[in-house]
Amino acid sequence: MVQVNSDRLTVRLKFRKTGSLQYVSHLDLVRTMHKIIIRAKLPLYYSEGFNPKPKMVFAAPLSIGTESLAEFMDLRLSEYVDPTLVMERLNSNMTSEMQITEAYYPTAKFTDLKWMTYSISIKTAGACLEYAHKCRDILLSDSVEVTKNTKSGEKSVDIRSLIKSVASDFDGEYMTLRAVLSADQSAFLNPELIIKVLREKAGILADPDLTREYYSIMRISAHNGDMTEFR
Amino acid sequence: MQNKNISSVLKSVQKPGRYIGGEYNSVIKSKEAVKCRFAFCFPDTYEIGMSNLGVRILYDVINRDPDVWCERVYAPWTDMKEKMEQYDIPLAAVESGDPLTDFDMVAFSLQYELCYTTALAMLKMAGIPIYSRDRTEDTPIVIGGGPCVYNAEPVADFFDLINVGEGEEVLLEICHLYNEMRDNGTYKRAAFLREASHIEGVYIPSLYEVSYNDDGTIREYKPLYEDVPKKVRKRIVSDLDKAPYPEKLVMPYIETVHDRIVLEVYRGCIRGCRFCQAGMVYRPIREKSPETLCKQAKCLFDNSGYDEISLISLSISDYSELPRLTDDLLSWTDPARVSLSLPSLRIDSFSEELMQKVSSVRTGGITFAPEAGTQRLRDVINKNVSEEDLMRSVGIAFRGGKSNVKLYFMNGLPTETMEDIEGISQLASKVISEYFKLPKPQRPRGIGVTISVACFVPKPFTPFQWEKQDSLESLEEKQKHLKEVITDRRIKYNYHDSRVSRIEAVLARGDRRLAPAIALAVEEGAMLDAWDEFFDYDRWVSVMERCGVDPDFYTTRGFGLDEVLPWDIIDIGVTKAFLLRERERAYEGKTTPSCAEKCSGCGANKLGGKNRWCK
Repeated sequence: MVQVNSDRLTVRLKFRKTGSLQYVSHLDLVRTMHKIIIRAKLPLYYSEGFNPKPKMVFAAPLSIGTESLAEFMDLRLSEYVDPTLVMERLNSNMTSEMQITEAYYPTAKFTDLKWMTYSISIKTAGACLEYAHKCRDILLSDSVEVTKNTKSGEKSVDIRSLIKSVASDFDGEYMTLRAVLSADQSAFLNPELIIKVLREKAGILADPDLTREYYSIMRISAHNGDMTEFR
Repeated sequence: MQNKNISSVLKSVQKPGRYIGGEYNSVIKSKEAVKCRFAFCFPDTYEIGMSNLGVRILYDVINRDPDVWCERVYAPWTDMKEKMEQYDIPLAAVESGDPLTDFDMVAFSLQYELCYTTALAMLKMAGIPIYSRDRTEDTPIVIGGGPCVYNAEPVADFFDLINVGEGEEVLLEICHLYNEMRDNGTYKRAAFLREASHIEGVYIPSLYEVSYNDDGTIREYKPLYEDVPKKVRKRIVSDLDKAPYPEKLVMPYIETVHDRIVLEVYRGCIRGCRFCQAGMVYRPIREKSPETLCKQAKCLFDNSGYDEISLISLSISDYSELPRLTDDLLSWTDPARVSLSLPSLRIDSFSEELMQKVSSVRTGGITFAPEAGTQRLRDVINKNVSEEDLMRSVGIAFRGGKSNVKLYFMNGLPTETMEDIEGISQLASKVISEYFKLPKPQRPRGIGVTISVACFVPKPFTPFQWEKQDSLESLEEKQKHLKEVITDRRIKYNYHDSRVSRIEAVLARGDRRLAPAIALAVEEGAMLDAWDEFFDYDRWVSVMERCGVDPDFYTTRGFGLDEVLPWDIIDIGVTKAFLLRERERAYEGKTTPSCAEKCSGCGANKLGGKNRWCK
């Protein structure tokens, strides 16, 4: 491995985190990734200071209970390593529920990431195509009020401006909403809030005996402000 | 995640990461391809169980056998338990998600007495009858092991088979016997247990009849058949350099209690503190060579990615090759940014050099265990450290930049008086004076001394096994007095709940007549008793009363020297004669030299073992 131009030392890794790993919190993901990169025996760049740590930066942390096909991490190395090799080394040290799908030199900044597309699947009493459309219409109406728990108690907020688009469908069992939600660092919308809106306004998952009935959320893709793919 | 039943409730429980499995390095086998399915249960939460070294070792050992698949099972937190009851989800193993009733063996690691209720609650959650006598041919064989089973009597009725001593060899022998009897068609539950009783280190409680005297003491243990051993000798692994040690660790996704590489340096202890059960039951001492340890450490680092290695043993500074081991390790751990920690440092062997080698330098605190407040009492308990040792050690710690010193003590020790209690406070004050002896620029900022005082529980197989436990009133009076005599605000004082220690003593010293009370406690919801928020003293008192158990019989009464003790059925190698000698020396205030200085003839040498002090 040879020393090259310093801007080729940061490798961007796009990865998926699916299945049971949706229950691993962001903090635990960072700890897990730390061990993975050590196992992969990559030449890591360590931060300066009293307690040096390898330099890893994550985009848009994922909340517990959401799967993702579009996670991003910038990893800084101390020597040049071909990105494909970085990906291979890391993947062989991960389980099948977390795998890197792309590795490349970043051009965009994480602050350029403005929107995320989510697929939200809901299995609830009375699910049908009309019900799915009704859910979509609620999310696209003029204002979408939802109660949020804040430090100063419950507060009603309007999240409409954080919803770019919603498409609805029904496959005979699940209603699926494909929603583009804000991922801007200053106005991040947690997709769990969409479930909350629909519980409050559309009565989904309302029957206490049906609490085992399932909803799942998957982050599908990431976009720049103009909806082109974020890379 | 294999367990579809659980997946539907994961969104509604705290810390769902506890239940998902699928960890890197976890072992997945084909259930059709193995002859024996072994569920290794830890009767506490995932975070605690994943940290346990014994489980890590045995999981690895059992899975090396292609005919056996060992999986892990942990206790769910109460919120998950409620969901499982609500939706009829049976307790399942982490790897396959299969319920425990699908297994051939269901084994529990019993690490502390207060986990008994959790173990039984887990059996109930799995739909396995809690009493051995109620199980049928189709029920898994329920096994108990771990440090508690040196006196397994209070839970003897719940286990089909008990593994006394180290499990590396025994558990596989049990599985092999099982597979063989299955293969040749001779397997019947009773026949298997009878045959297993011939394996050294295996105790089958149902093959003994216990009778009692009129005063409630035990008359005798009688084997039901001639071929069943009269006493069960504990098993040890002879040569730790040759014994298997995990090369890979199951890597938890969530943070666990000891989230690091744990390197077991040796087994046993040369010291012989008279209150310490581990110091007696793990004899004889057997060391690993520095070469073995370095190889194991490197391998675990490569396969885990942990950046901390903890060297563990009962007293790490007594390892005969510690300087060589730490130097060899540091030669590669330092460049790899891996830190070393030595958690069990003794006051009399703490040195500047040692402190510089270990990572704890970075943190602000250090812990020592003088155990008692006066030299007289430290001599009684054979904790061979002096006040000078402690002052020298804290001086080094202060100069090394540590400003928080934690000191462990016990109260309720035999022969203890209020003078000894006051000595605890005086010792803490002297530690503070030692700090001010340093020239001001050399003092780290913010001196603090924390004294943590546990209540003494007279444990089986110690020289103090016959002792009375202090009454609740006396323990509480001593705790209160100590609180009053501490006036320095730089001294923080923590003490254990004496009621917990009393129940611990009952469970540690009890006999088979306790079983109904434990079963009733579980019936009434007891579980995770080791957690303060779930421990319910009043419930314990109530169930014992209703089952005719008098807690004083096992605590404040003390045991007669010629009484048959519940644990006399077990032979740990160390003889009763030695324990009695040590008890006499305690009352004379005489200390006993460590195994490194002189052999005191404890008897454990008859068990064999390589690389030990007793030649």
